[in-house]
Amino acid sequence: MAAQKNDRNPALMALTSSALLLPAYQTVQADAPPEFAEAGMQYSKYKEDDITGKKAFGGGSERFDIDVAQFHLLAPVLDDWSVAVDVAWEDMSGASPWFVGESASGDPKVIMSGASIEDNRTEVSVTTRYYFDRGNGGLSLTYSDEDDYESKAAALDGAFNSADGMTTYSGAISYSDDHIDPTQGAVPTNTTSASKDIYSAWAGVTRIVSKRAIVRFGLSYTYRDGFLTDPYKFRDSRPDERKEWVASGGYRRYFEEQNSALHVDYRYFNDDWDVQSHTLDVAWVWDYSPAVTYTPFIRYYTQHEAEFFNNLAQRDQRYFADDYRLSAFGAFSYGLRASRKIQNWEVSVDAERYQTDESWGVFSGEESPGLVDFWRYGIGLNYIFK
Amino acid sequence: MTVKTAAAGLVLVLLCGCETVQPWERGLLAKEGMQWTPDIMDARLRSQIYASKEASSGGAGAAGGGCGCN
Repeated sequence: MAAQKNDRNPALMALTSSALLLPAYQTVQADAPPEFAEAGMQYSKYKEDDITGKKAFGGGSERFDIDVAQFHLLAPVLDDWSVAVDVAWEDMSGASPWFVGESASGDPKVIMSGASIEDNRTEVSVTTRYYFDRGNGGLSLTYSDEDDYESKAAALDGAFNSADGMTTYSGAISYSDDHIDPTQGAVPTNTTSASKDIYSAWAGVTRIVSKRAIVRFGLSYTYRDGFLTDPYKFRDSRPDERKEWVASGGYRRYFEEQNSALHVDYRYFNDDWDVQSHTLDVAWVWDYSPAVTYTPFIRYYTQHEAEFFNNLAQRDQRYFADDYRLSAFGAFSYGLRASRKIQNWEVSVDAERYQTDESWGVFSGEESPGLVDFWRYGIGLNYIFK
Repeated sequence: MTVKTAAAGLVLVLLCGCETVQPWERGLLAKEGMQWTPDIMDARLRSQIYASKEASSGGAGAAGGGCGCN
């Protein structure tokens, strides 16, 4: 489909100038409130593969199974404001690795938590945003509540574009106050009550590079302070501070002949626990017709193990952990999303497969028997009030 | 080294004299498929799942609230 060039239609100019200013984490327009209200809901199923008897003592075991329902509402308010509400409900059950022991043959094997863990989580997030000629500023408040965990978070963000509209500068800061009261009964816990604070700052720049391409670059710093040990792991003792740095980049390019957009996103992560990781996301958004879009995607992730990780936790050290999430591994995930518009409605379905293996990583380390693979499926429905 | 080279290259692209694109020439850039986050609910869920199964998180804005995800 050929692009309409030199079309000075004011509506198109308004649409394009605002769409270009989208910071990485926003879907709203940067210099004008959304023209119409929109609402959506989505149901997702997350299912981890069972752990096999080869990797666990006591035979195989089921792992986590989570049902997730989400709701999203974005509406213009007055002339220069918008309000967004996001709600998520999760219902989870299953077992997770408790600790790693050594089998008679010397191989590490996981001992699972045994009794199935049941939990529910509700998260509500409200964002108000003010728009001005060359940008916007937003305030978000988020509350998350589980049977054993409570989180209260606030974030401020802003975006400002250059006079020619070619560059957008963005920034954000956030604070989260988290508290855990581990559920007693299934396994002994490392604490009965603990807290942590999370401080984060982010800065980014987005730049138009051609009529068909746009890039972005971002840097962020996060400081976690408090109880960072996993309360449900038997052999787990972590520092009470963590400093994290992230550098990220993104690229979008439109291909007219294919009616498609290429998405490439990269993230480099580093922290003072000696974890570092690379993440590469690639997606191809194909407009098969004006109403139907297919989006195949693939993601590669690899991480270096934390300095205190060992399959057989070194409990004579100050810090130790056998949590597979702190081990060295590589992960591929791939999937497909399809959506169809019917007048003001849009229905979408998607599926994703996530698989891990120590040998797929670029960093070497002990292969954890607890590495997880999972499936995720979702179906969503959106409506635009116009 | 590779990371530093890639980061330097990206910054160079950002800072270089890219062609000036007038507002009326930005139709393709404004297409739905060109958004940074095409589906907000999908993006939130995926980001939460990855963060609960990996030792890394963040990079797409300020960090949000935590969860006790296992």
